[in-house]
Amino acid sequence: MNTMQQFTGLSAVLTGFDSSIIAPTIDQINVKEEYLAAWTEKTGTALATSILDKYATLASDSNNSSQMIGEQMLAATNGADFVLACRKLIFLWYSGAWPTLSADGTSTSSVLLSTKSYNAGLVWQVMQSHPMGSSNYRYGYWSEAPAPLNQYLGKSNS
Amino acid sequence: MKKTIEYVVLVGILILISSCKQVNEKDPNKDDVESSEAVAETTELVALANDSLSSTVPLEITVSTQPPTLESLQHDFDVFSWESFIALNWPANEDGTPNTNMVIGQDQNALTVWQSWKSSRDIFLKNGAQPKGWNEDVPPPVVCDHLNGSDFSKAQISLTQVGKTPNVLDESGEPFQTGPLIDQNGQYTRYEIFTNQSMFDYIVDNKLYNKKGQAIYNKDADFPSSSTSNDKVGAIMVKSAWVKMGGKYDSSKFHTTMALVYNNPEEQSGVKPACELVEVGLVGFHIAHKTEDEPQWVWSTFEHKDNVPTQNETADKDFYNFYDANSDMEVNEPPARPWNPAIPYTTPSQIERVIPITDDAKALNDKYHALLENAVPGSVWANYDLISTQWPTDATSVSDPTGKPAPSFLANTTLETYIQGTVEQTSSSCIACHNNASMTSGRFSDFTYLLQRAQTKK
Repeated sequence: MNTMQQFTGLSAVLTGFDSSIIAPTIDQINVKEEYLAAWTEKTGTALATSILDKYATLASDSNNSSQMIGEQMLAATNGADFVLACRKLIFLWYSGAWPTLSADGTSTSSVLLSTKSYNAGLVWQVMQSHPMGSSNYRYGYWSEAPAPLNQYLGKSNS
Repeated sequence: MKKTIEYVVLVGILILISSCKQVNEKDPNKDDVESSEAVAETTELVALANDSLSSTVPLEITVSTQPPTLESLQHDFDVFSWESFIALNWPANEDGTPNTNMVIGQDQNALTVWQSWKSSRDIFLKNGAQPKGWNEDVPPPVVCDHLNGSDFSKAQISLTQVGKTPNVLDESGEPFQTGPLIDQNGQYTRYEIFTNQSMFDYIVDNKLYNKKGQAIYNKDADFPSSSTSNDKVGAIMVKSAWVKMGGKYDSSKFHTTMALVYNNPEEQSGVKPACELVEVGLVGFHIAHKTEDEPQWVWSTFEHKDNVPTQNETADKDFYNFYDANSDMEVNEPPARPWNPAIPYTTPSQIERVIPITDDAKALNDKYHALLENAVPGSVWANYDLISTQWPTDATSVSDPTGKPAPSFLANTTLETYIQGTVEQTSSSCIACHNNASMTSGRFSDFTYLLQRAQTKK
């Protein structure tokens, strides 16, 4: 696994989305590049590398389900910084924004990475909807029920 | 080496074709045997010459690389676009079928296959009347009657629009009324939309040509797709952009035709109807083609190579169709209102391409230009560039009915002049825009705004 494969694999496990959504084979948006760069820079290369290494080790064991890997990545025994970096990665994928915790740890603020990241936020998929101000749905879509949630998660066969 | 041999063979073939044609022209009363021999020889030679240039419209993409990548598929779609461009611009017989006894470019001004299709004004008639049959001529606007004379038959198409499909855009809201494109002679660029028979038949068979028919239909439109399984051509639309020849324009560089240029009062308030018969040259060309694997259609766009320079690159040509190095006009700004194509002179637009043509598309353009030149030295079609092709990367996506198009944005400088760029929901994207198209009933119209032109039946 190269770094990007580790990163998208980890992202799929942490977000609960299928890797076909996180990293499509034909990826014309390619927001993953932007996320990897931002996450590595803001997390710090050393911590980012250790997180990806741990994921790669867990993923190489075929006995580990995605659920088990996710639980182990977020285990408190990994250390607060490790877990926080993983949680920030989840936030990044869902919102397209990078979260910052206040010094006293009581509040957060976040900054969108880009227009692309705003539109690519997984939260819109979970809502079975579209970003505010940027809809790819057709005229009159609001009069019909959306597709089942599993299809938005890329898990139509599960 | 192979290419050199092909070139020699092709040149030889074309000389022979030319000789055959000359023989026939010199002595049209040659006996039947000799004539049929000549025809047979010509047919065989043309078939050889057509090895790379085909009059057959491709029905689907040919995937060249396994596993495919975004880049390799873009290339494959661009090849599809060029093959489509060549097939649709093939010289046509009187019935509109490709004349396989000719090669594309053999006659610069020959009527092309798509030029015999139905224009939007042939389909969406006043009072919602049923369109005439596919092979029946539709009379031009009454205001053109005074031109009816010996030259009238030369007018193959009636160019009625100025601006970006304004009849439709009036109904779609302010953002799309982006303005006319003024050429270097101070004249308005003209547009026309055509549909092929598959699309036309679907509209007529389902009575979608008027509002009442669309209301009764009461479901989403679903035009036929091209299919390799049954070898049928599905729905294809063509939108073309033209400038009047003469003045600063050298007609030898363009595909030209005689046209009725009609100032349409329904387009802009205050415009008086007027009509003139003039020679126009092709400057822009969209092809939208629905295929089985691409239900969001494949969107190909071509331009004359001298249209505009690219932003942040050197404007190194002596002449551009829509740019003047000595002009101090603001770049990519529409002219001030009121817009009226009858105004004798409007300051020319100063246009630059915002999104550069990719290196791969440039290489493909070079390849097809060489093929066209090989087939007919000096071919006018070698003056046209593919800008790009937009296609759905995930055609069956449930969360995105646009199918996640690539590239995300695509604009033709003659057809989406003022909405070039990469701003979401603002800049030109064929699929994203046409995904919003609906009929007058509000039902999805399958990526065409044409059905919005249906009028009330009386």
